[in-house]
Amino acid sequence: MVFNSLAFLIFIAIFLPLYFAIRGRLRLWLCLVASYFFYGWWDWRFLGLIVLSTLIDYSVGLRLEQTAAPQLRRRLLTVSVVANLGVLGFFKYFNFFAESLKELLQQIGLTADYNTLHIILPVGISFYTFQSMSYTIDIYYRKLKPEPDFLRFATFIAFFPQLVAGPIVRARDFLPQFRKDRQFEWDRFISGTGQVLWGFFKKVAVADSLAPFVDQCFAAPESFSSLHLLIGVIFYSFQIYCDFSGYSDIAIGLGRIMGFDFPVNFRTPYFSKNFSEFWTRWHISLSSWLRDYLYIPLGGNRHGKWNTFRNLMITMLLGGLWHGASWVFVFWGFLHGLYLVVQRVLGSLTDRLHQKMGTFPWLRNIGNLALVYGFTCLAWIFFRSPEFATATKMIAGIGTLGDLSLGSVVNKFVVLKGVILIAFLVMVELANFKYQFGHLSLRSPAFRMASFALLLWLIAFFGTFDSNAFIYFQF
Amino acid sequence: MKRRIFGIIFFSVLVLLGDRLGGWGLSKLVDRSQFRYSRLYQESAEAEILLLGNSRGLSFFQPAIEEVTGQSTFNLSYNGMPVDLMKILVEDYLERYPAPKTVLIDITLCDRFNEQLVAGFGPYRHYSERLDSLIKMSDAKVWWAGRVSHLFRYNSEVFQRALYYLGRSDEDWLLDRTITPGLIETLAAPDYTFVFGYPEETIAILNKLVKRLQQSGVQVRLVINPYFPSFRDKMIGLDRLKEQVEDITNQPVHDFSRAVEGLEYFGDFQHLNQNGSRVYIDLLEQKGFFNSENSVD
Repeated sequence: MVFNSLAFLIFIAIFLPLYFAIRGRLRLWLCLVASYFFYGWWDWRFLGLIVLSTLIDYSVGLRLEQTAAPQLRRRLLTVSVVANLGVLGFFKYFNFFAESLKELLQQIGLTADYNTLHIILPVGISFYTFQSMSYTIDIYYRKLKPEPDFLRFATFIAFFPQLVAGPIVRARDFLPQFRKDRQFEWDRFISGTGQVLWGFFKKVAVADSLAPFVDQCFAAPESFSSLHLLIGVIFYSFQIYCDFSGYSDIAIGLGRIMGFDFPVNFRTPYFSKNFSEFWTRWHISLSSWLRDYLYIPLGGNRHGKWNTFRNLMITMLLGGLWHGASWVFVFWGFLHGLYLVVQRVLGSLTDRLHQKMGTFPWLRNIGNLALVYGFTCLAWIFFRSPEFATATKMIAGIGTLGDLSLGSVVNKFVVLKGVILIAFLVMVELANFKYQFGHLSLRSPAFRMASFALLLWLIAFFGTFDSNAFIYFQF
Repeated sequence: MKRRIFGIIFFSVLVLLGDRLGGWGLSKLVDRSQFRYSRLYQESAEAEILLLGNSRGLSFFQPAIEEVTGQSTFNLSYNGMPVDLMKILVEDYLERYPAPKTVLIDITLCDRFNEQLVAGFGPYRHYSERLDSLIKMSDAKVWWAGRVSHLFRYNSEVFQRALYYLGRSDEDWLLDRTITPGLIETLAAPDYTFVFGYPEETIAILNKLVKRLQQSGVQVRLVINPYFPSFRDKMIGLDRLKEQVEDITNQPVHDFSRAVEGLEYFGDFQHLNQNGSRVYIDLLEQKGFFNSENSVD
């Protein structure tokens, strides 16, 4: 079930009153059943995978607590990690590695005659396996006590607002929230509704309006002018941001209405002045997961410059692979790893340059913003392209700057609409820095009503209502 | 609690009023537009020659036809126009104006049903019960959404175009580009074919449209507008459409699909550009297609 569908509106309209009408374990049961229903609406057969992951990590968690022997603890952790990554690896990466191996063997002159399997990728598998795995890893490192209540644990793994596209929550932050019986709170309802509306606006009005133009560019880059392709890439940068952060906003808002606090997942990433900052603002729940469970265990930045570079590259390459079973995603991760390494290498040089330019800090900031945004867009080209050839055509098409007309756009209003929506989004996000709309809507009923009404009108006027799935569902 | 309930009611009224006010404002803009459908429903589209088609029908270039014939023209063609929507628009036309003398129909508009475009005609649904019913039949969810929110009715490309033509006429637009050599090269592939598919139900609707026009005393000319010749050679299915249309409507279809040759006359494989349109219109004029008294059969 996707948030931007009539089915979900009906689902939530039934679920929320029931949720607040009951208490205690009955409410937990309701959440679990509703979450399984929400997931099973897409394909009920894959519910088995969630249940399997839940059973394994629940049992491993309890056994880890009861076991002191380091060797046995390690084995238990291995069971959890292998089971989770095994399921993920099979469903998401089996064909990718099989095909890559076949190509490699063919290139060195060997014949590999085998067929790949017809495997359907279960929605949200990368999200809930990471969430589930972090639970056992935290217990292994004694950062967390296991959850003895199976119902509570199962609800934590399958909780529908963030099940299929995050934010990836940590058990130590989120499990305790299930222990408290939440009352309906008006303020939470208001701020949650505001965030849900903003999320819907980002998804159905901005992301889905930009999508057709972007799809057209990436489908046949050779058919379009340089300006057309450049606009396509800029539109894609906002499409993916609004699509994914829109989902997060809806999830966080729904959670808030129900009495839960999810971590912030996006913090205006395109206002980052360097790439380290970008990764503290983009998909924060994943980047912090990779930092805590991959980068730091690899050694982080503790063992010298070269090891830091290696760890950064490994983390970003695997982060790229997490997004999808394709070399373009790996290359996207490689580019971001490279950006982070280059930033560290050039750091002292640019610091000195900046000191000399100290009289113009605003110029420096604008330059940094533009640089980070530009290189992020370059990486997005690979992320969006179905294959390297498409990315190369896109870059070549933009790079030649041969044709700066919009001649091939059938309806120029599509571009104008996109520009208007992006401008509105950027203005609101900038203003939100200063005025904190969340708080303002709680303090001022007039502001609240006006802003909520405006969002509803904008959604009606600009929205695309084709129940387009969220981009991150495929990851 | 009482205050909150009052707040919710007030908010609902505010949303509804804002929506209706916004919808009313946008409808005024649509009324003032020079876009062809605005003119149709504003009753300023009376013409002696009516031109019907999809995007290919736009090569019936009005200013050129008026120049060579001295007759007033009105082109109802639009990108992806399906025949069921065209039939509604023609019926609305006949209800508002004296019947035109001649109607030219490019039968390739039978190539599809287009629910998205039908839904996009929301800005005009309050002018026509027929159009309103077609939207409802085509997509009930869109129809209901338009009932709930009047702003939603204007959430379409059709409205954007109406806005674009607020202060200018849409009659003098036609492709001004020329087909690129790169595009032509794609035709060289030995396995290149273009299958012209169409839902057969569209022909029955076209037949009703033809009969309705003939009942009003209109001379109806069925044609196939030109395609880029090498592309036409690779098309499969167009001849079958011609035969079926002739069988069902009992009208001859005049095939001009290979009538214009030369790179400089095409914007792409399926569309004439301004130069090509001029050549085509001269050809139609020579053959007497714009003269309702002439027999061209």
